[in-house]
Amino acid sequence: MFFYHISLIGLLLLSCIVQQFLPPINGWYDARILLLPLVVVCSAATTPTAGMLILAFLGGFLWDAQQILLIQGVDTEIYRDTYQSPIESMKFGYSILLFALMGFLMQGIQPLFKQGKWYLSAMLTGVAMSLYLTVEYLLLSFVRGGFDITSGVFNQIGLTALITMLASPLVFWILFQIANLCRHEISYDSLRQRTY
Amino acid sequence: MRPLNFIALLLFIAGTVWVFTRSEKAVRKVQENYYSTISPFVSKGGEIDAFATSFMEEVEHSEVLQKRLEQATRERDRFKLIGIRIGELESENNELRNALDFKKQTEFDVISAQIVRREPLTWGSTVEINRGDSDHIGVSLCVLASNGGLVGQVYQPGDDVSSVLLITDEASRVSVRVEGSAEVGILSGRRTNYGETPRLRLRYLSKNAVLQKGMKVYTNGRGGLFPANIPVGTIEDFEAGPVTGEAEIIPSVDFNNLKTVFVITDSPGD
Repeated sequence: MFFYHISLIGLLLLSCIVQQFLPPINGWYDARILLLPLVVVCSAATTPTAGMLILAFLGGFLWDAQQILLIQGVDTEIYRDTYQSPIESMKFGYSILLFALMGFLMQGIQPLFKQGKWYLSAMLTGVAMSLYLTVEYLLLSFVRGGFDITSGVFNQIGLTALITMLASPLVFWILFQIANLCRHEISYDSLRQRTY
Repeated sequence: MRPLNFIALLLFIAGTVWVFTRSEKAVRKVQENYYSTISPFVSKGGEIDAFATSFMEEVEHSEVLQKRLEQATRERDRFKLIGIRIGELESENNELRNALDFKKQTEFDVISAQIVRREPLTWGSTVEINRGDSDHIGVSLCVLASNGGLVGQVYQPGDDVSSVLLITDEASRVSVRVEGSAEVGILSGRRTNYGETPRLRLRYLSKNAVLQKGMKVYTNGRGGLFPANIPVGTIEDFEAGPVTGEAEIIPSVDFNNLKTVFVITDSPGD
């Protein structure tokens, strides 16, 4: 079990690298595969709560290191003229909480996953991703002001969740292989993954 | 709740509180370390992205050729393919020539850079360029396109790769003037930009401004971040509000096909 969790952290770091190779699809409302969050949510279905929280913390930390937009060197005169303050960024660390919430959501149907109904968990990754992106966008709107919600935003959220969900069986398959290599049991009633 | 889970939850909460209480400087340091670690992969990712784009263009190309094959001879198509390839090379040559001319003609000291990655953020308009600290790229440096249009500003310089905030991003603010009028305003991007041509918002114009479609917009140099008289875009629409007016601007830069940019390292005013 220990080696399995260490391997998951390795997989998380690897997904962080692979994420750099996954560009947005312009024709699809800049939808993209969110691999790092996907690894966190898929792993959450295979680990106990403690492991899930560690992954959520590391994943959220790495994700925010990449995604948080901290603007440096603004034209102060512009803000003085318009009586505005520089535009706010999201607080570093918010993804940790969102990843943990997604993790708890995935763990909610962990019993079904353990019965071998991994496809339900795969579908739930799509739901979790769409919820994550919606909450993220709403938080961004709240922080910056102005709820600029258009059909394009919904399309981006929906398509991103969809293509990320389609990648989830591959992530689950990788997790099964890692479990085999680490001699870790992801308990199943119908599909036995135990190796000795 | 099992004791292990309870301890893990307490540690998680403590860790999250620790992260939330980091100062902006500390977060910036984390991001610098992150980007310096990840930059070799970003460069490689950019190469793969360029290859994939080129491959997709080739695929589209092949489909067009397939239709033509039904009506033309094999030999003729071969020459067509060669002709198309020459056209691509010519186009690329022209682009590079324009870039070279721009570098020669511009009044600024500039460093050319290639875009290695587009839109890495889920909600934001940024690109990453293959220049960094080693090329003397610093924070807030102004970035231009080969047609002289304003692209944005460097906001996160790394060792070999730097992040550029595009003017199409919501967080971007540029002080501009409208040519042929006394109007000045603040240009910003939008939270989301989809489709072929992103639109910009020009706010804080006077509500009685007489602006027409097609009028050009330039930087006015106020604040000192962006040099004056850099073309930004053209007015598409104007709407007067109760206190101020707002115009919709089409940027002068084709952001979808932007490959080469120029970072101003020293403007004449400096």
